[in-house]
Amino acid sequence: MRDGIAIARNGIPAVAFVTSKFWPQGDFVAKAEGMPDVPRVQLPHPVAGIGREAMASLADSISEEVLQRLIDG
Amino acid sequence: MSIFLNARDEAEALEKLHDAHCTDGLPVIIPTRERVQRLVLASGLDSDIVLGEMGPQWGAATVENVAIAAVMAGCLAEHMPVVVAAIRAICQPEFDLAEMQGTTHCIAPLLIVNGPARAACGGIASGFGALGPGHRANASIGRAVRLAMMNIGGARPGESDMALHGHPGKFTFCLAEDEEQSPFPPLHTSLGYGLEQSVVTVVGTEGPHSVLFTGDADDPLSAERLLNTIAKVIANPGSNNSHLGGRAAICVVLNPDHAEVLHNAGYTRETIQQALSERAVTPRADLEALNPRMLVGREEFIPAVRDPANIVLITAGGTGLYTMVMPSWCAGPHGNVAVHAEIELNQYCELPSARG
Repeated sequence: MRDGIAIARNGIPAVAFVTSKFWPQGDFVAKAEGMPDVPRVQLPHPVAGIGREAMASLADSISEEVLQRLIDG
Repeated sequence: MSIFLNARDEAEALEKLHDAHCTDGLPVIIPTRERVQRLVLASGLDSDIVLGEMGPQWGAATVENVAIAAVMAGCLAEHMPVVVAAIRAICQPEFDLAEMQGTTHCIAPLLIVNGPARAACGGIASGFGALGPGHRANASIGRAVRLAMMNIGGARPGESDMALHGHPGKFTFCLAEDEEQSPFPPLHTSLGYGLEQSVVTVVGTEGPHSVLFTGDADDPLSAERLLNTIAKVIANPGSNNSHLGGRAAICVVLNPDHAEVLHNAGYTRETIQQALSERAVTPRADLEALNPRMLVGREEFIPAVRDPANIVLITAGGTGLYTMVMPSWCAGPHGNVAVHAEIELNQYCELPSARG
């Protein structure tokens, strides 16, 4: 979430990926950093180590949402 | 500005503080207005002076807010100068407090006290069991910093402090260097301070990892074996330090016997740091076999601590077989470096009934 906020602050469109287990922490950080509405997309947990095929499938499943967040700003 | 809590008595107040997640899970001293004002007075500073901002919540660490944490932790008036200095230290941007508080790693700030404050601020222990229970100043000062990190900085386990396991040093983690037993100059003089100054050095670390070593006066290579043994523990191949680029500070706490072995062999703090940095390496292939996707560094032998100055080396603990290595997180924008701040003893306002 911090990376997404830092990139957005530099004027670069950004979408943070946050897994479900870390979603409340992401909300906390976004609010504390003064960007409560910073674009983010929720991923299932865990993501790390799920394997190439599962990762590709996950990427396919969220790609539309990520694009929409970028368009919405 | 503080939020006031109303309760019929101290027992109810304690339950309300627990319910509001304002404690570390242990009973606290209720921070009544009178008690807080007393520690503010002891600090010698105005209550609204801001010592820093504490992430991830970015709460203002005013003297009053820090005094609240100190009261809750059980601090005496004479502990305040160290608490104030420690808060100033961890609020320095280089410490990356917000990131450190939020990480899934178990890092906690280790406070190391040098100079006259060791005696003047309640007798901060540096000998047997200095990091364990039974030392009031160590326990209270470290706990005050933790409670400030929770209540001002907003770190709550599982909500904003995402450490998977944490470690017991997240309750309190404070000791002094045993300057009298150390054959080396005090740590703070190596950082550019004068001998007469008092300083708190803070490095975010894991808990202590034990290093077993027995010296042998008949063995001319005894000091080398000791250094090699410490280096092996620093370069634990499962650690963040080995994998994540070696940018971080770590802490090595030599017991007085081990410090003497190295001193007798002609080593100084600087040459020990250099030797440990050079020897605490792991073959790249070994690390690739463990966490290939996490590995940072392209050398054949990957260093766990690239900059010798990032090995915070002190002498403390009892006499015997064990030295301690505190590995670290090795992440964050500044890479998990050590910070330090002077303890301003001339600000301290001695109160007549400090233990009353």
